[in-house]
Amino acid sequence: MVGRFRWAAMFPDEVWEHVFSFLTSDGDRNAAALVCRNWNRIERRSRKRVFVGNCYSVAPTVAVRLFPEVRAAVIKGKPHFADFNLVPSDWGGGAEAWVEAMAEGWPNLEELRFKRMVVSDDCLDLIARSFKNFKVLSLVSCDGFSTSGLAAIAANCRHLRELNLRESEVEETCLNWISHFPEPFTSLVALDIACLEGEVNASILERLISRCSNIMTLRLNHSVPLERLVGLLQRAPQLMDLGTGKFSARHNPQLFSRLESAIVGCKNLRSLSGFWEPGLTYLPAVYSICEGLTSLNLNYATVQNPELVKIISRCKNLRRLLVMDLIEDSGLVAVASSCKLLQELRVFPSDPYDAAEPVSLTEHGLVAVSAGCPMLHSVLYFCRQMTNAALLTVAKNRPNLTCFRLCIIEPHTRDYVTQEPLDTGFSAIVESCKDLRRLSLSGLLTDLVFKSIGASANYLEMLSIAFAGDGDMGLHYILSGCKNLRKLEIRDCPFGDKPLLQNASKLETMRSLWMSSCSVTLGACRQLARAMPRLNVEVINESGRGPLAAQPDNCPVEKLYIYRTIAGPRTDTPQCVWTV
Amino acid sequence: MGGYCNSPSSSIDSSCDPDLSTSSIFEQRRDLSTELRLGLSLSSSSLQHKYSHKEKDPLSDWPPIKPLLRSTLEGKAHQSNSETFFVKVYMEGVPIGRKLDLFAHNGYDDLIKSLGHMFRTTITCSHVSQVSLEKSHVLTYEDEEGDWMMVGDVPWELFLSTVKKLKITKVEKC
Repeated sequence: MVGRFRWAAMFPDEVWEHVFSFLTSDGDRNAAALVCRNWNRIERRSRKRVFVGNCYSVAPTVAVRLFPEVRAAVIKGKPHFADFNLVPSDWGGGAEAWVEAMAEGWPNLEELRFKRMVVSDDCLDLIARSFKNFKVLSLVSCDGFSTSGLAAIAANCRHLRELNLRESEVEETCLNWISHFPEPFTSLVALDIACLEGEVNASILERLISRCSNIMTLRLNHSVPLERLVGLLQRAPQLMDLGTGKFSARHNPQLFSRLESAIVGCKNLRSLSGFWEPGLTYLPAVYSICEGLTSLNLNYATVQNPELVKIISRCKNLRRLLVMDLIEDSGLVAVASSCKLLQELRVFPSDPYDAAEPVSLTEHGLVAVSAGCPMLHSVLYFCRQMTNAALLTVAKNRPNLTCFRLCIIEPHTRDYVTQEPLDTGFSAIVESCKDLRRLSLSGLLTDLVFKSIGASANYLEMLSIAFAGDGDMGLHYILSGCKNLRKLEIRDCPFGDKPLLQNASKLETMRSLWMSSCSVTLGACRQLARAMPRLNVEVINESGRGPLAAQPDNCPVEKLYIYRTIAGPRTDTPQCVWTV
Repeated sequence: MGGYCNSPSSSIDSSCDPDLSTSSIFEQRRDLSTELRLGLSLSSSSLQHKYSHKEKDPLSDWPPIKPLLRSTLEGKAHQSNSETFFVKVYMEGVPIGRKLDLFAHNGYDDLIKSLGHMFRTTITCSHVSQVSLEKSHVLTYEDEEGDWMMVGDVPWELFLSTVKKLKITKVEKC
């Protein structure tokens, strides 16, 4: 250490550990670890939480050895575009290597959160048996496991607090897995099983909920009928976060009033979701608690504008709203006047393929919300038309946007008034919203918009591009600008080899780059891989043209995934993936 | 860069017969846009417009929506709404009654319109504010207590929860 700080070197390690324990963010701890060798050693030996954004960036055994005291780990696997069927199902992201290493080196592990990983029943079994103090299992957008694996977790994790299966694909092999929670088990605080496709035994669930008096989050799947929801709510009036099952039933006034009372009885309810197949008669049962709601997810509720407005206009304290485009512009105008505390809005397409009966949700709805909701900072908006003028207005109204994802469903859609590309609109967004961290582009876009983004989007961390750009310059602007870019995903753009090779070193400052249906050739990938040993350059060709090693340099690459790693090329690539 | 106008206000065919039903106009629009899209993909070789062919394919990768939402929307397309509430409707003087699904209606105005068509008469209820001597029929309902009440006084949802059957009576009786 530097001379004048010699006094610091005399502090025993425990003092620094205690100091570091006040650093809550990963970024801060990472920074502390870079100060000197001592701090590096002390910090990593005392680190309790670790975040691995790409499961292949470091070998599991290395991670476990470097951070021996970890109690909570977050590991992410497949690239984001896997959510949209762009990544082959056997690409990778298997959790075995991680679970095995953790079982060996982190016996005191309490929390495990996987996202987009392939988790087998064997993994779940190993987790259930290896961590005596296991409290949290979160499997978001995962697959590869079945309810048998869940049964093992239920049976063995005696201190389990949270079981979250959000958006995962689960095979139903064990019908009554919930009955595997033993009678003395009472620790459950959060349960999210909304993704399960099969029947859930409501009686067993009711008994479980009855004895878990601390349950705060309960998200059911569509199989739980309204009649049973009443029973569950009566046993858990302390619930803060509820995901209903099917929200319709045969006409029954007594059921309606019992449901309404049960909901009123949940005085702490702040978050509502579910609403599968909602029936008009039962929706009013939630009116009474709307005012207390901070989060409302009507993502799956295919009901029309009048019903949606009746609910949402009562939610004066809403921070987060997810809704179908059935809300229409007029509904969003109502949101703008009722939900003044709104921070996040997501509008999904109700008819993404056909547009047989177009819904009247246009750019006007977005503009209305941007004007009426001063705290709005995160937007995801699916629509069918847009203008530069609207985007300029949004940019002017909401310079505090941190996440702006616009998906105009038809690719190459122009400004429908001026017939121009949407370059000026999106440029206004990046120039005005100085704190923008995430951006998704759509519509007709030339290289000009990329020039603006490269120059202005200084805090941008994630950028998604589809069907945009004129040529190589577009990608070059991005890679040579955007100082804080971490994740870049591109599909169907005319970007080729040159910008990749010119900006090779940029790729090591990012977590990952995905390019599919662009104009990259195998030769460029080979060059890149040779020049950058700390990048894995994975070429994915599913059309089966024979081993990629034999292909010539000008062979076009269908899909490309490049990520930085200290683990070298991975050993679990399937047939269609080749690490160059 | 090629592009095309997909403004909803532009008419595809200026000689379009105004009497054409809405559905065939939409079909025309869809066909034309497919044509234009195919034209685009032929002219720009570096772009692969795979999405346009996969549009109706459930494994489609565009637009970017997650699997759970995708399957929910497909399920909705194949499944009919299971919730119905049929009640008997009688018109005074007509022995044979009809049945009507109350859940298929948005409110009183919708209901009055349907019944008007069904029974070929003009019907009024307390919700409708016209006071016209030409209205010859009034809509009433039997509630859960067995009483006959005029339709329209209570909120629609409350009406749905108490109505047992409907009767269309002549104005003079009220």
